This record gives sequence, C-alpha cells and structure tokens, in this order.
Amino acid sequence: MKILKIPKDHLDLFVSVLPAFGELYAPVRRGKGHAFDRPALWSEVDLSYARTILPPRKFFLPPREATFRFDPKTGYHGLLAEAATPRVLFGVHAYDIYGLNILDRVFAQGRFADPYYVTRRRHTAIIGIDVEPDEAHFASSMNADAVDTGFDLFLSDLGEEYLVLVGTSRGHDMVTMSGCLLADPTPADFAEYKRRSSLRRAAYRTRVELNDLAEILEIEYRSQVWEDLGERCLSCGACSHVCPTCYCFDVADEVDLGSRSGQRVRTWDSCLFKMHAAVAGGENFRHTRASRIKFRFYHKQRGFVAEYGRPSCVGCGRCSVSCPAGIDITTVIRMIRGQTDAHDDRADLAGSRDGESVPPAPRPDLAHPADGA
Amino acid sequence: MSEPKVILIVDDDPDFKRAVAHLFESCGHRVWMADNGRQGFDLAKTVRPDLIVLDVMMAERTEGFFTLGRIRDDPALRETPVIVVSSVYADHPEFRVSPEAGWLPADLFLAKPIDPARLVEESARLMTAPAPSAGRRQAGSRGR
Repeated sequence: MKILKIPKDHLDLFVSVLPAFGELYAPVRRGKGHAFDRPALWSEVDLSYARTILPPRKFFLPPREATFRFDPKTGYHGLLAEAATPRVLFGVHAYDIYGLNILDRVFAQGRFADPYYVTRRRHTAIIGIDVEPDEAHFASSMNADAVDTGFDLFLSDLGEEYLVLVGTSRGHDMVTMSGCLLADPTPADFAEYKRRSSLRRAAYRTRVELNDLAEILEIEYRSQVWEDLGERCLSCGACSHVCPTCYCFDVADEVDLGSRSGQRVRTWDSCLFKMHAAVAGGENFRHTRASRIKFRFYHKQRGFVAEYGRPSCVGCGRCSVSCPAGIDITTVIRMIRGQTDAHDDRADLAGSRDGESVPPAPRPDLAHPADGA
Repeated sequence: MSEPKVILIVDDDPDFKRAVAHLFESCGHRVWMADNGRQGFDLAKTVRPDLIVLDVMMAERTEGFFTLGRIRDDPALRETPVIVVSSVYADHPEFRVSPEAGWLPADLFLAKPIDPARLVEESARLMTAPAPSAGRRQAGSRGR
C-alpha cells in the first residue's frame, strides 16, 4: 500500500480535482446533523462531523429504487445503467467503510450478487477520514474503528497534515491527477501516525464487551430485558433506517394507471415494523414489539456471527442517537450481560452521555396498545 | 459584428468584470455579471447565457471549481461553454495540476492577466461551435 501525505490547507485544491472521478459527495451540515450531500462550496464540507444522519448505505441501497420497467408489448427493461453513475464519497469514517464491507458480504460476495448494489459499489470511489469519537461511538469495541480495505484513499490526521493511505489503483489515479499536492511522508510523520493511532483507539470512551456475546444472547433468549425493551420501543424503525448494515427491503410492482405497464420498486423495510414478518394466511411470526426488537438484536449480534463470523454492528452509535425512546444499544448489551439491572429506571436504558440530554420518557397517555403492536 | 449573444461574467473583481463586460458589449453582446459562484449559478439558470466567463478564486479559492461542477451537473446548463479565467496557478504554485490533464470540465482555461483579443476570439469560437457530446461534459469520465 502506497502512503503519502498532504497538508490540510491543500485539501480544497485536491478535492477540486475529484469531480473528474465522479459526482462529489461529502459531509455537509443539514439542520442539527450532517449528511453526505453535494457541496456547493468547499466551506460547506465539515470534516469534523461526528456521524451523518444516514450512513453511506443510501448510495448503494437507495431508500427507494426502480429495478426494472415492464410492458406487455415491449417486455422487461432493466434500469441497471442508472446505477453506473460515477461518484466520489469524500470523508467517510472507518466504521462506515467497515459497514459497507459487511454489506459486500451479503450483496456482492454471496451466492446471489445483487447487480444494482455491485454496479454502484464499482462506480463509487471512497475516501475515508479519521473520526473524533463522541460518547455514542463504540466502534473500537466492534473492531470497526480502523479498516484495511474498502477505500480508495484514507486520510489520517497528523495535525497540520493528513497521512494518505492509497488503497486502490483508482486512488492512485486520484493522487497522480492532483499533481504535486501530495508528498512522501518522513520518518517523523510515521512516528506521529503511530502515536496518534494509539490515541485514536483510546479516545473511544464508550465500550462494550464483545467476547462471548453471541453465547450470552443464546442464554438470555427468554430474558425479561426483551419484554422491557418491547414496552419502550415505538417500532418506528429509526434504528434500522440509520444503521450502516441493515438491509431489509420490500418489493412491489407499481402499475401505471390505465395500463398493464409499470415498474418494480424496492424500498427500505424494517424488522421493527409490525408487518415485516407477516405472511400469507394472516400469520405474523413477530407480532409483539418485544419479539421484533429482540429479533433485531439477535440478527445483529448473534445471527450474523454464526453466518459471517462477526456481528454486523459497527459501533457508529446512530441507533442510540436516533431512537426517540432513548434505547441505547450499549446499555442493552450491558444489561444482557447482567452488568445493569434490567429493572432500573430508563436512564440506564438510555445511557448517560455528557453534554447530551436524554430524550424524555414516552408519555403513558401516548403509550402503544398493550398488544405490543 | 457577430450575432449578439448573452454572456455571463462571474468574478469578484469589479474592475476585471467591468473591463471584460465593455469588451463583449463593444462586440454587440449582452452581458450579465455576478460577484460570486452562487449568484453566478442562479443567474445562469435565469438568463441561460451562451457563454460563461468564470473566475476561480473568489471568496473561497476553489469557488470557481465548485461552481463549474454545479454547472456541469445541471441538465439545463451542462452544454453551456465555460471559459475559466484565473490566476490560481500564479497565486498557488503548489497547485501544479494542469487544466489540460482532463480534470477541469471547462472548455478553455485562460491564465490572468488575459489577452483581450484572445478572449474575444475564443469566445466567438465557443459560441458558434457545436455543443460537445453530453458524455464529455459529464462528471466522472475517469470513474471506474
């Protein structure tokens, strides 16, 4: 792997060259959060962001996409070409790159590769960057705070400069096209990189114990914790929609009014939704909220381990930050491990974060019906 | 005198803008002016110019590059010829990235100070030339 460096005050000039490789997307401020979007100016790019509202998954598995059109007279017309739009995602954190690498196992490396996903991955360049973790990040616990693959370039903070890891030939082309903006690092730069590498990992203040978690989940399958969580969970699906590795989708044929032509559309789904496990005949395998939130945890932390050898969680903290009921995944894991009393007040469930207010508890008068739906 | 055209000048230097405007107006063209990239882009959407003369270093030193990207992304403006005029190479010698290397989706790059006669000549050529294929103008021609 080739390693270079670039002064931070040259980054705007470097980024000016990137549109030659595709539409540029970078973290920009949107409301109180950040989103990967097209910056109209370099000053709109905020590389100090904690996390984007939606993960980069939205570029590869869009919230809604038409996969093909159909017409009784002309047959099927694939829409794969639209997925081949070249893009550059600039400023992606390591845990999100890790999340994409996990999605690759499902959509690109499995028995049935998804051509839409694969095409978008092939045509999208990824430029990663260091993150300053906040209280909700626990990526180091999930071994997702650093990545060896899945990026074209990765920028690591050295203070006044970035160390640039070149991960692919496309990344090498970017470096070549940007002329003399990048230079060879010195031994002092490498020493600084190693010093900061240790500090980066230590900067994660929130930690969870991952070892034997799958086994403990097996033991705690009938734990009261899941029932308590079911009482709190609103089944809104926010946690799965902001998750870098959730990929459930629904498929429907939309027929044009007054004709037999139309298109097949797939949209994001969530295992938290009541109808997610409903099948023909009126049966629903996960009728209660408790069963649905339990399923989500088991799929992430246990099912994926059995199938792929590691949990699909990357520790980005998005689910905890976005949950309107204040359910914090790290607290839930600690409770399952018996490190927190499952019957403590909701502050335990929500965790405690410095400088961040805990969302208010759901009002009893707005509580969901007792059937858990 | 050539057929009157609409030309948009985007530059934060009022003297340069006025001088170039006089130059084009003396050729019979109608000139619109904008002080920054955002205003220039919005004005281009409204007046649909036959040519855009675009500075790079305005409030931000890469503002013109980003504005050019927005122009090339916009279906209504994608085919509009753009001449980038800038002293970015003189002011930032570390940026030794030739515009001829294929990364800059402009029709022409002219380093400031510019030769007025060449600007008029190249403008006339671009405003009468057939539009290039959309593929050449789209972002990511090097993407794989």
